[in-house]
Amino acid sequence: MKHPMRNPWIYTLFTVPTLLLYGMFFLWPMLSSAYYAFTDWNGLENYRYVGWSNFAAAFGDPDFRRAIVNNLIFIGFSIFVQIPLIVLFALLIASVRRLRGFYKTTVFVPSIVSTSVIGILWGFIYEPEVGPLNRLLALFGAGPVYWLAEPKWALPAVLIANAWQWMGFYIVLVLAAILAIPRELHEAAVVDGANGWQRELNITVPLIMPLISVVVMLSIAGGMRVVDIVLVMTKGGPVGATEVMASYMVNEAMGINPNYGFGTAIALIIFAFALLLTSLYQLTFGRRTEGGYF
Amino acid sequence: MLLKRVVPHAVLLAYVAAVLFPFVFVLFSSLKGSNVEIAADPFGIPKTWHPENYLEAWVKAKIGVYFFNSVYLSFTSALTAALLSAATAFAIIRMRYPRIGRWIYQTVLIGMFIPGNVLFIAQYLLVMNLGVLNTHWALFLPYTAGALPLGVLLLAAFMKSLPGELEEAAIMDGLSSAGLFAKIVLPLTLPALVTVFIVNFLGAWNEYLLANFFISKDALRTLPTGMVGFRDAFRTNYALICTGIVYSVAPVLLLYAFLQKQIIEGMTVGSVKG
Amino acid sequence: MKKRLGAAILILFIALSTVLAACGSDKNENASKGNEGSASPGASAPASAGTGDDAGGKDAEPFTVSLRHIQIGEAQKFRKAILDDVVKKTEAEVPGLKFELDGVEDQVNRFTKLPAEMAAGNPPKIFDLFGGAGDALKYAKAGRLLDVTPIIEELGIADKFLNLSQFTLDGRVYGLPIGGSTEGFFYNIPMFEKYGIKVPTTLEELEAAAETLKQNGITPFAMGSKAAWVPLMMVNTLIGRYAGPEAIDGFPAGTHAWNSPEVTAAFAKYEEWVKKGYFTKGELGLEYADMLNQFVTGKAGMMFDGSWRASVFKDPSQAGELTGQVGFFPMPPVPGGKGDQTYVNGNYSNGYGFSADLNERELTAVKAFIKNMYNEEMQLRGLLEDGVLPSMKLSGDALGKVEDPLVKQIMETMRRAGGAFSHFDSTVHSEVYKESEAQIQRLIAGRATAAEVTEALQKIQEIANANQ
Repeated sequence: MKHPMRNPWIYTLFTVPTLLLYGMFFLWPMLSSAYYAFTDWNGLENYRYVGWSNFAAAFGDPDFRRAIVNNLIFIGFSIFVQIPLIVLFALLIASVRRLRGFYKTTVFVPSIVSTSVIGILWGFIYEPEVGPLNRLLALFGAGPVYWLAEPKWALPAVLIANAWQWMGFYIVLVLAAILAIPRELHEAAVVDGANGWQRELNITVPLIMPLISVVVMLSIAGGMRVVDIVLVMTKGGPVGATEVMASYMVNEAMGINPNYGFGTAIALIIFAFALLLTSLYQLTFGRRTEGGYF
Repeated sequence: MLLKRVVPHAVLLAYVAAVLFPFVFVLFSSLKGSNVEIAADPFGIPKTWHPENYLEAWVKAKIGVYFFNSVYLSFTSALTAALLSAATAFAIIRMRYPRIGRWIYQTVLIGMFIPGNVLFIAQYLLVMNLGVLNTHWALFLPYTAGALPLGVLLLAAFMKSLPGELEEAAIMDGLSSAGLFAKIVLPLTLPALVTVFIVNFLGAWNEYLLANFFISKDALRTLPTGMVGFRDAFRTNYALICTGIVYSVAPVLLLYAFLQKQIIEGMTVGSVKG
Repeated sequence: MKKRLGAAILILFIALSTVLAACGSDKNENASKGNEGSASPGASAPASAGTGDDAGGKDAEPFTVSLRHIQIGEAQKFRKAILDDVVKKTEAEVPGLKFELDGVEDQVNRFTKLPAEMAAGNPPKIFDLFGGAGDALKYAKAGRLLDVTPIIEELGIADKFLNLSQFTLDGRVYGLPIGGSTEGFFYNIPMFEKYGIKVPTTLEELEAAAETLKQNGITPFAMGSKAAWVPLMMVNTLIGRYAGPEAIDGFPAGTHAWNSPEVTAAFAKYEEWVKKGYFTKGELGLEYADMLNQFVTGKAGMMFDGSWRASVFKDPSQAGELTGQVGFFPMPPVPGGKGDQTYVNGNYSNGYGFSADLNERELTAVKAFIKNMYNEEMQLRGLLEDGVLPSMKLSGDALGKVEDPLVKQIMETMRRAGGAFSHFDSTVHSEVYKESEAQIQRLIAGRATAAEVTEALQKIQEIANANQ
């Protein structure tokens, strides 16, 4: 008699629907992207095979190059500005005894709200005449700043809105790691005469480095994924100041002159970039592999 | 000494204030009577309360319709994804086809590495070709599919930790593998299932890109798209826009108030494992 | 055994996924091939369909016809009311008919939804459509639009339209404009009085007026350029002035170049006004609706917009204090301008189009819709209630019924003009138009000069002309 756990019918039943859905909506799109990217299909006429010209056109377009730079700025901002602040706040929360739950709960809130709503929310905050930010500046006599209308302010404005949304998430993540450090280590250090800052720097931070590494990877992935907040706040403007690769792709493929061939080529470029950056990071800083079950 | 105790709190309270001020500001603005009042006194409590703004927004923004669509879509896709992931996780972890299982696991793992928007256009073309563009299937299928990699990963991890004796005992009692799954394993993995469900529910609820382009019929729209459309239609009526924001955010906050532990856990653990 | 099961599952799922996805594309092709098939039975059997419907009367099976419109938001409410009446009337006439209205924002419909639906081959049955090479004519060439020539001939309205050129391809008509519009300056009457400004009749007077307003802390021209089509309205009219009306059609024909001195002069004038600060500050972050707000709240004294905006200014809930206090004047002649300087911008490019993929009953519904929408009564209503210029010829009586002074002023402007030139967004290829949107924003942001803009545009135009 066959063991019930070796029942091929049940096995199939349990795995095929998942694999089917996954295959259709993950694997097939990847394959078809790889195909369409080499054509110039715009949805209306028959398409032609155009080889690498979509990719050449993309890299030749200064707006796209700008978009690449903007993605890198997003990532850079996440890593070099947000992460130190995240660690700082996590350490602060871990160091207090009371209200820890309160802090943890409140800072996490923005990350559960839809990015599009956050875009509307901050779009309103940045409103030049009625928005609170300019009203605040007015109290100090500073003139109205056209946050989302001027190329030089738009990107920082979006970066701040984005940071506002996600920092809490990472703070809670890091907090969990900090709290997982056994108290004995700190106690031993106190006995040895180390003060608060020395303890944090020499014990806590090194011990949470693996998690910080994960946070960096997530930041890279997140930086490549940015699109909703840009589309809702600025649509990539003004004059491409906030354009990121994904919003460029959306505007090209779904805009005035849809070009699906070109759009999928951009999608592949985004994917390649994401892989490239993650691998670069892995190679330079290394990471102990965790996870995997076989 | 006292200073040392106070400073962290001071800094943290300032940060919390920075995090929460937009919400408070929006709440107050939504109850104000005019743009002039909002501009004149942004942080102040409304001088006169205008709760009728909420009724106006509900009607003009058709929030009921969008809300229903979001609930129904998020619920069904999250539920389906949770069940499918559980079934697959069970199959690959507990059932005795280890090599196939490993292979399926690796395949699903690939999905974790693909950034969300890369597949957008190809999925759009696929949905178009399947003829389901502008129907709820156009969102249900990608949402469910997108939730599978993380779901399978999380549930596989959870199931691995379940003791084997329970299974042995159940099999001795004559349970089939399906029966074992339904009667024993599923109840045991409930905490993880709930987490997977909540994370995917939130993900689908908040999703904007696909919802915006895959659905154009107003009656089928979800909340994020509806809100952006509302904002575009009523740009200059800030009180109304703020009301819309409150409508979008309140349900999520409510959910969060009750289920924060699972939500935080689900979102953070999921990312680390990935 | 294990290996075979594994291989089986692998093959099964890859095969299924591929088949499903490919099957979908076949389905799509069959659907488009089927279009030709379904159109003929419909056209050749109207008699049976007619009697069937009449006899069927109350027992007729219900069917829906999708209708995409752009009349959402406060400013469009008059137009929506007219549409609703047409819908009701048509539903009453065709048994079993129910229209499914789908309201989408103008630009989203024109540039995102409709192109995508045309590509997928499943546009709504009736939809708001813009004329011109980048919109209606493009879709007509791809066979997506219903040829309405037989319908308008049957209804006897074929020669009643003022200008069908933007919907006509090879002599066949593929869409019907709902109204006409002209783009010019709306101005704040009390404000002009207050500062002693007369309605400008020359460019110098216009610039003097702008200067006066500026000195008094008022923005001369309201502007919201986040959506690039808004500033392009004024640019288009400046091109019509500096380079002459023929230039607008001349670009795709190759007879006029963007980088000619005249066209460049038009852009340079716009650039000059930008640099002088005549436009709203922070315009790149403001949408079309914000521009109206600037004008209505008195922050700006003039606003260059299309005549379709006129209905807003008779509605107190939208125009506030400015209700009934708005006047209109066309762009004055420019010194050294080519061509007839009395020409104004005239567009008959917005209207309704119909899917080529219609069955008999849908065709009946479409015919009834056209009959009820495009007649003197509805055109007059559009004029009186909404301030929209008619796209069809109206009797002198009808025209005389207009009382709104603003609309009268607009009609007078058109009457006095020597002729009309279109907007280049209906004459040039999509790629060129798209580039013009990108370039005007660069100009406004100070990132490009007029010369650079026109060079870039000419480059794209030449490529588009070569690909024709």
